[in-house]
Amino acid sequence: MIPATLRVTLIAAVICYFVIILYFLKQKALNLKYTLLWLVAGLVMGILVAVPELLVRIIHIFGIQDNMNGLFIFAIGFIIMILLSLTSIASRQNRKIRTLTQELAILDKRVRDLEENDVE
Amino acid sequence: MKQEKRVLVIIPAYNEAENIVHVVRHMMEEAPQYDYLVINDGSTDNTLDLCRGENFHYLDLPINMGIGGAVQAGYVYARKYDYDIAVQMDGDGQHDIAYLDRLLEPLINREADVVIGSRFLEKEGFQSSASRRMGIHILSALIWLTTGKHIMDVTSGYRAVNKMFIKIYSEDYPMDYPEPEAIVAAFMHLGRVKEVPVQMRARAGGISSINFKKSIYYMIKVTLAIVICRMGYGIRRGKRDDI
Repeated sequence: MIPATLRVTLIAAVICYFVIILYFLKQKALNLKYTLLWLVAGLVMGILVAVPELLVRIIHIFGIQDNMNGLFIFAIGFIIMILLSLTSIASRQNRKIRTLTQELAILDKRVRDLEENDVE
Repeated sequence: MKQEKRVLVIIPAYNEAENIVHVVRHMMEEAPQYDYLVINDGSTDNTLDLCRGENFHYLDLPINMGIGGAVQAGYVYARKYDYDIAVQMDGDGQHDIAYLDRLLEPLINREADVVIGSRFLEKEGFQSSASRRMGIHILSALIWLTTGKHIMDVTSGYRAVNKMFIKIYSEDYPMDYPEPEAIVAAFMHLGRVKEVPVQMRARAGGISSINFKKSIYYMIKVTLAIVICRMGYGIRRGKRDDI
């Protein structure tokens, strides 16, 4: 079993987590689209902390011996998933920036050409 | 030769102040019938001022995007202004405009979709260092393994493509070290790739963008890129209906 004090700490941590995310959302410092994964992660964490028997069962299904280890493995798993999604977002934005830069440069040339024609 | 084809020579330039004026002037003297476009890839030297001062045709990319992004800007431009053929030629003076017609010929005769100027077919001119040649042979073998086609000079940046590939490359062109990957992409689009012999010179001035330290990274990155590019397209056994 997970010790009671640890449960209290974890519950407090999850509440803090949600407060921070919601605060950021309210401030529009986070895009809801990119925050969904964080919210889902928080929700799963909340459920597992609230119903620790579930966590213990899942951990045993995966063949992990120690409950605390299981908790860490889950946390690391979530972090890796979120990092992957961030990398994919960065790559997509990279592509968009590339297109914008190229279009901008072509427009810039067009403006120069038009100005030149005006002078003549 | 039929000259009704509209040809755009794309000249990517990143910090090529030492070479760019000579390269473009030479091109204007030797091949004035073709359009050219210098792509200033966010240079930090005075490449841009030189282009402006000489009244060259140029695109000025506000940020540095690397050779792939710069060349692609040229393809986007070529597509936008409806060019029939796009040629890419380095801005460092390695590529000789005298071979341009050799590159264009297979495209005009509809024998190929992508033509690569190869320094290894006749083994004349600047042949690069032994270690670099070995790297190129390894990549060439890798492309043969993944696509079944033999291309000798897979890193040559002296290329010409027809309208079909102007469209393909303007939509999707590999980044970072794009040359070998672009060949795989060409085969995957069922393109006919042809090599023609050209001679290259050692760089006239400035420093190459690939130094010795980066070469290991280069090999790993390009090897991965080729394999991933090949996987991305799966098995291609289709036939083009336009040939």
